[in-house]
Formats: sequence, C-alpha cells, structure tokens
Amino acid sequence: MEEIVLGIGITALAGAFATVAGAAEDTESDIGSQGDPNSQVQLAPQMGYIHRIFNKAISGEPPAYGAWCAIGAGVAWALMQVNFNPALAIILGSVIAVFVQGVYCTSGYLGRTASLAKFQQPVYIDIIKSLLSVTMAHAFVAIFCTVAMCHLMATALHHPFALPLLGLVWGIALGAAGSATGNPFYGKERQYQNQKFGAGVPISASGNIVRYAEAGQRSSLDNGWFTTKFAGPASGICFGLIVFLELWRTVLFEKMVAGWGAIIVGVILILIFTFIDRWIEVWGRKTYGPYTAAEEASS
Amino acid sequence: MSALGGAAAGGEGINPTGTLVGIVILLVSIAATYALGFSIIPLIGIIIGGAFVGFGVHFVPVGGAPAAMGQAPGIATGVAMLAAGAGLAGLFGGAWAFEATGDFAIAVAGGAVGGGLMMSITCMMVNATYVFAMGIPAASGKVAKDPITGDTFPEYKSQGTEGHGLPFISFFGGVIGGIVTGLGGTLIYLALLGIYETGLPVIMQAEPAAIQPLAISLAGIFAIGFFLVNAVLAAYNITGTIEGPHDPKFKRVPRAIIGCAVASAFCGFISMLIVLNTGM
Amino acid sequence: MSVKMEASAGKLSENTLMIYGIVVALVGTYLTYLNVVTGIAVFSFFGGIGAIAALWWGSDTIKHLCSYGLGTGVPSAGMVAFGAGAIAMIAGTKFGLASPIVTLVLAAIIGAVIGYCANNIINMNIPVMIFSLMKLSIVGALTMLGFAAMCTGTFMFNGLVIGGMTLSMEPAEVAAGGAQTFMVTVLPEFASSLIGGAALTVIFFLGAIALQHPFNACLGPNESQDRTLMLAIEVGFLSMFVVAVMSYAFLDITSATVGVVVSLIGWVYSYKQYIALSKRDAYAWLDAKPIMEVGGNE
Repeated sequence: MEEIVLGIGITALAGAFATVAGAAEDTESDIGSQGDPNSQVQLAPQMGYIHRIFNKAISGEPPAYGAWCAIGAGVAWALMQVNFNPALAIILGSVIAVFVQGVYCTSGYLGRTASLAKFQQPVYIDIIKSLLSVTMAHAFVAIFCTVAMCHLMATALHHPFALPLLGLVWGIALGAAGSATGNPFYGKERQYQNQKFGAGVPISASGNIVRYAEAGQRSSLDNGWFTTKFAGPASGICFGLIVFLELWRTVLFEKMVAGWGAIIVGVILILIFTFIDRWIEVWGRKTYGPYTAAEEASS
Repeated sequence: MSALGGAAAGGEGINPTGTLVGIVILLVSIAATYALGFSIIPLIGIIIGGAFVGFGVHFVPVGGAPAAMGQAPGIATGVAMLAAGAGLAGLFGGAWAFEATGDFAIAVAGGAVGGGLMMSITCMMVNATYVFAMGIPAASGKVAKDPITGDTFPEYKSQGTEGHGLPFISFFGGVIGGIVTGLGGTLIYLALLGIYETGLPVIMQAEPAAIQPLAISLAGIFAIGFFLVNAVLAAYNITGTIEGPHDPKFKRVPRAIIGCAVASAFCGFISMLIVLNTGM
Repeated sequence: MSVKMEASAGKLSENTLMIYGIVVALVGTYLTYLNVVTGIAVFSFFGGIGAIAALWWGSDTIKHLCSYGLGTGVPSAGMVAFGAGAIAMIAGTKFGLASPIVTLVLAAIIGAVIGYCANNIINMNIPVMIFSLMKLSIVGALTMLGFAAMCTGTFMFNGLVIGGMTLSMEPAEVAAGGAQTFMVTVLPEFASSLIGGAALTVIFFLGAIALQHPFNACLGPNESQDRTLMLAIEVGFLSMFVVAVMSYAFLDITSATVGVVVSLIGWVYSYKQYIALSKRDAYAWLDAKPIMEVGGNE
C-alpha cells in the first residue's frame, strides 16, 4: 500500500515536471522558429519578403529534443557514476545540453541566412544577441524537467531502462507532443496573423508572413509571448497527460486482473480520449458551420 | 522539415525483381542464423516487429509544413519522428510491463496500448488547438465523406486549402498507428532481450541476474536503432505527407512491409553476432 | 513551395573526402590502442578526432543524397545512418584488434541491404541511393566507434560493457565469472559501463543530429562546400566536448581533462572560422538595423 502511495506521489510529480517541460519546449521552439512552421520563414525571402525572425534551422523538434535530453541525461548519469549528488548532476547535465543547444541555434541561423544571400536577406546579428539567451533559458527548463522526470522514473519507480535511454525516449516524445500541438498555432495564427481568422492559409499567400508587428518590426520574442497564451500551455497539458497517464495506469493497475489491469485501463483511456476528440470535432462543425452551402452531392 | 529538392522519382506499385531479391535476403538471414546455432524464433519476432513498425507508420496522419499553416490535414511534424515518438513511448510501457510481470503477451499489449495512448492524447490536443484556438473545423482533402462518421467535408474546407485539422478517420488512423508501432517496437525489444539474456551469460561467463542491466540496455539501444531504420524506410515510402488510412498513398503499404521486413531480418542477424562465441 | 536545393560543386571531390574520412577515422581509432600499449589512458582523444573526420566526410555525402529529393527531408538520412551504424558498431567490437575494420565492413554490408530495400523494394529509384546509404552507414558506425573509444579508452567489446569491478566474498565457483584473489572474488560490473548504462545512446543521438546539421543548416542557393565542411568540424568538436565530459565516469581525471581541453580548443577555432565564413557569404551583416526591403513588396 505504501509503495503504491509513494508511486502515485512520484507519478504526480513526474506529471507536473512533464507539463512544465512541454510548455517550455513549445515556447522555445517558437521563439527560435523551429520545425515545420520554419519552412515559411525560410520561404519568405525567396518570395521577396525580408524579415527579422530567428530562423533556427536545426531539424524538427523530436530529434532535436531527443538529442538535448539524451545529452542532459547522459552527462547527469556520468556525473552520478563519480558520486555527484543527483540534483547537481542533473543541473550540470542540463547546463551542458543547453550549451550545445545554444551553439546549434547560432550555427543554424547563420548558415541558413548566409545561404539566402541571393535573395538579399541580411544576417541580423542583434537577433542572435537578444534572443539566444531567451531560447536557451526556455530550453534549460524543458531539458531539466525532462531529465529530472526520467531520473524519478529510473530510481523511484524502478523502470528497467538506464537514465540516458529514458532521456532519449522521453525527449523524442516531448518534441513530438509539443510539435504536434503547438506548430499550427504558431504557423497559422501568428505567422499569418494578417489572414482571415477561422480559415486555413490559402496557398496563394505562402511566404507572406507577418514582418511588421503591432508596433515596430516583428521579432521572434513577440512570437514567444504569443505562444505562451495558448500553444505553450496546451503542449504542456498534452505531454503532462501522456506522462502522467502512462505512469498512473501502470503504477496503480499493474498487479490487477493477473497483470492485464494496466492494459484494460489503457484501452478505456484511449476510448475516453476518442469520445472527447469526437465531441470537439462535432462541436466545431456545429458551432462554426460550413464555409459554403453544402453541395447537393451524391455520396 | 520541408520537402526538399526535386520531385521524388519513385514509381508506383511493387518491383518484382527487387521484392524477390529482398525475400532471398530474408531467407538467407534466417538460414544463417540457424546455421550459427541460434534459435530462429527471436529473429522471426524481429522480422514481424519490423514489419509492424513499417505498417503502423502509414496510419499516422502527417501533414508536414502545409499542416502548420492550416493548408493540409494532419499533424505538423515529420513522419518518421512522430511515429518514433509514439513507438518509443509504447516501448517504455512495454519494457516496464515485462519487468513487472515477466509475461510476453502482457508486455506486447502494454507496448501497444502505450503507443496508442500517446497518439490519442496528441491527436485530441491537435484538434483542440484547431477548433478552440484557431476556429477551424476539421476537414479532409482526399475524400468527400468520412468513412467512419459520414461527415461531409467539401463545405468545411476553407478556400485555397487542401483541408485542415484531424477528421475522425485521421484520428482513428493516428491511434491505430500508435498501437501498431508500439506493438512492433516492443516485439523487437523483447526478441532482442530474449537473445541477450540467454546468450550473454554464456559468453561473458556471468550470472544472469548480474548481466540483466547490460542485456536491457543493449536490447533498448538496438530497438531504437531498428525503430529508426524502419520508420525512415516507411517515411521514404510515404514521401512526406499522408492523411491516414483513407489516403490513396496508403495503397503503397505492401512494399513498405516487405522492405522493412527484409531490412529487419538482416539487421537482426547482425545483432545476433554479439552473442556469437568468437573466442575473443 | 519548397526550398530549392542545389548541390554545390566544391573544391573537394566526393572520393577525396571519402578517402580522407575513412583513413583518419580508422587511424584515430587505432591510436587509442596506445592506451593499452603504454598503460595510460591519455590517448583516448584520438578516437574523437577520428569520429570528427567521419562526420566531416558524412556531411558531404548527405548533401549529395538529399539533392535528389527524398521527400522526407535531411534529418531522416542522419537517423537511418546512425540506426544502421549502431547495429554494425556494437557487433563489430567483438573482433578484438580488427574491430574498426570489421565494423567498417559490417556497416557497408548493412548499408547496402538497407539501400537496396529503399531503392528497389520501396521503389525510390535514386541512382546513388545504395552507395550513399553504404557510405552513411560507415560514417555512422565509425563515428560511434571513435566516440566510444574516446569515452572509455578502448574499442573492444569487453571494455565497453564492463564498467568496473566489485568485490564479492563468495568463492569463485559460486560467484560465476569472477577471478579468485586472496579471500575475495572480483566480479565485473555491467551497469556502470558505456553500453550497460546506455550512455552509448548519447553518442548515438549526438552523432545523428551532428551528421545532418551541417547540410541542413547551410541549406539554400548560396550553400558553399567549405562553409558546410567547417560547420561539420565545429559540430564534431562540440560533440567531442560532450563525450569528453562523459568520459570522467570511465577514465582518470587527467585523461578526461586532456579530452576536454583538446575538444574546447578545436571547437573555439572551428566556430570562429565558421562565423568568418558566414560573414563572407552573407548578403549583409547588420547589427540592430531595420528590415531592408527588396523593393515593392508590401
């Protein structure tokens, strides 16, 4: 009984870490414009729209965060082997991972922008100077929370995987969850703020991203602020739910129904989320209605 | 990640010579494993697991860069890494279930459910973003009516786009994709774990209990390697974006299953060399 | 609506890069054997130099492969290279002193099989696919082997899986695998080794993201080979730095610090060179200036 109570407590703590990590991850990837929306930032100069966005070209978010969290977890593991205090080891591991991430950010921006010289997109050094510390700070929060969560899983919940392997697994999952939830919000709502609300961006408008903001010229810092209004917390909820429910169903129900308890609960959870999703979809269709009158179509 | 360069020059349909050579490679791998004195059951497990991974990746709805702008339905992430994220979350659950119960069936089912749970939560939050934050209902660009719910799409597609969000068939595809890739990944992991837990104590001359952390880590690292290879091969087959099981591109699945099975068979054979007694 | 990619013709040809890459990688890895010969672990950092050479060569191979339009983007090529390379590398370390060469051969075979599956079963029909995937698998395997040798001081299987020794009071027959010394048995411990503790995962993904970064980051019409290759070297030294920090768990303090110092010096130099090359290639290098419109657009 005590073990289950401790397990639930650790699960809740891991879920909290995951929520913070998800929020920080998505905010960082939008301050640095990483992943699929970044293709528009890349395209804009080619269509003649010069911009001052931090064009951080490091690959998508899942492999990038997989790498940073693996580095953080690996260095933390190595330091714990030489008898460092776990908290200090995780902090130092995250610091080194963030250092690597920062260097990749700068080299990504410089490389892509220098290669767009043909389209007269200048390299704005002050973008790096003002935004690098912000993006590194958010990345530190995301990496530290993920590695701490993995450490809890390895030591307190007795997961068989070693810490670096857990770091990689959850880093990739963090990137995937944050990227899936947050990318459309940044890509459509912020990059194409000047397009009609409530509809997708028409193909003819590609590349025409917002470059002049509410006051002055659009900086990626404004995009970070915008992300924290919805996409950041939503990504946090997404990743937090994933981690919490995955741990919760195992810790509580593993031993029930001859071992099948956790699986039955998992299937029930999947069905619950399917119903919620269907409700959201139907709500959207009913509340917003169609764009045009329904055609008299034969099926 | 954007689709790069010129148009992908892949042809449609199955290449008969290539497939035949592939099946020969698969059979040779099985024969070589048998000749070296290993049991071929783990290798069959790896082959089936790899095929499942390749199969499951095709279910996951991925829209790529256009999806990030609300121009195409699907999730706005890369195919291979989104599937890898789901599969690895499933592998996490499956490995834990095996450690706790020691039952093969429970572990594999646990892995499948873990992957499916992650995808269901992610897909639900994607729809929440589209509907509540962006005011855009879900619509598919490839079919006029949802095969499962019967919702019509043409009037719900905004002008100048190919659709947006995750219609229910895509959500369903995503969950199935998570389940199948989680299942495949866990199968590969358990097969490798079986090989190493029996083989390593023999060649390292150590207690099975002591060797267990090594066996688990080796199996885990290899499982990730297998996963990435199979997911990328499947991504090459999809050439970037797919809306889900209703997408015409889904018909390309057979050659991905064969390709992944062949690649997994050969790589599985190589991974057995670790427990080969070379006397070194 | 996608970025048009042109493979720039650089001064160094593909074959030159391949020969230099393979030779330096193999020589670097073999130089770590001096650890065994001399009994001190200071020579481990040569493994890192070898890995950097492999990454340097690999970034050019990715460029040639991706210019054919794979439909999935550059990072996937890095992932598949290291996925195949990891399998080849761990299997290849079982062959004693011949391990680096066996690793190379195994990686080439695995790469060829995967390339064949991609080209002929999945029907991608890209002329250079099989050969490129062979080369990329070799790059992946040699990079991992070099970094593993740098981290632990050896490239042989036993060194990578045995992290240390513990003492047991049981006699040798009961404590299986131990060597009986006076009154206690020395047992190998697996959980604190590079592979047993899964620290190899870090090397795996460090390499995977380092391999695809140079070409991915320098993508564009004005991509130049010397800048891309310099970025490859910079990213290599950065990865070497992380591996050097991790080697504190396996090597003594002096050897690990030598690795840290060498990697930091190399990184600072190559990073400054990369910034200088970017400055050379950029259209304009502005500090706190407004948007310079091209003219007539919004």
